[in-house]
Amino acid sequence: MTEAEDKIEFELPVTLERIQDFAVAVDEDNPVFADADAARLAGFPEIPAPPTFTVTQIFEVPREERERRLGANLNYERVLHGEQEFLYKRLPVAGETLKGTMRIAKDFTKEGKRGGQMRFVTYETRFDDASGDEVMTALYTLIETSKDAAS
Amino acid sequence: MTLPKNVTADALSPGMELEEYVYGPIDREDIKRYALASGDDNPIHQDEEYAKASGAPTVFAMGMLPAGYLAHAISDWFGGPQHLRRYKLRFTTRVWPGDEIVCRGKIIRIDGRELSVEVQAYRRGDGPEGLGLGREEVAITAQADIELPE
Repeated sequence: MTEAEDKIEFELPVTLERIQDFAVAVDEDNPVFADADAARLAGFPEIPAPPTFTVTQIFEVPREERERRLGANLNYERVLHGEQEFLYKRLPVAGETLKGTMRIAKDFTKEGKRGGQMRFVTYETRFDDASGDEVMTALYTLIETSKDAAS
Repeated sequence: MTLPKNVTADALSPGMELEEYVYGPIDREDIKRYALASGDDNPIHQDEEYAKASGAPTVFAMGMLPAGYLAHAISDWFGGPQHLRRYKLRFTTRVWPGDEIVCRGKIIRIDGRELSVEVQAYRRGDGPEGLGLGREEVAITAQADIELPE
């Protein structure tokens, strides 16, 4: 087994096509996601991405690659998406490419309510723009339940 | 309460409840569309046989789909997504095909132009038989921080 890396660096393209597919998928009807003039009126230089758009990072770093390189050793048969957090400096906008840096920010185990251990693994991805300024950070927390958990 | 279009902090106070927004009902097409747009192609959300083999009675929505609706509601409540500073959520139960997503929220803190809200997305529907589901249950609990314009 190769040694785990401490971070994964990748690029996340924020294209108009991806924004609009995502906006439709989350039922967004705010004109800022469809019309550049409406976006500018709201203070965006271009059409922005919806607030949860950076989940599309899974296109760039699939689960298998994340697991192989960061080495959390999760058993995905017993994994749930437990929590999610986004911290915004601003929203990404169409035409830019974000630089993502993903690492494991937290990894701890606690007793589950119904007995058995629950392991919490939080992946933190910071997204920077072309000038190196932070755009936003996403925290993705997976919960691995133990084999004998009643749920 | 319905907020005015260009809402400012002085029109708001802690404890105010926000207008209810309802999305869905979610169907398998919505799940597929979100899978294609988001990159979450986990078969547990789309493949009936796979979901059953994993112990679920049928496919269920990826949590980030109702979380996306809830982000939409928060944006609309406060005049657009440009005011969002933080969105933190916890998934509490699964959302099934046929469920509506009911978004509700309350202002819990105001500090100048910054405010915090506590919001929930409820799943509302019959759900699959045999799970003993209530007709309406909290699927997501979340907090958001907003910074309003002057």
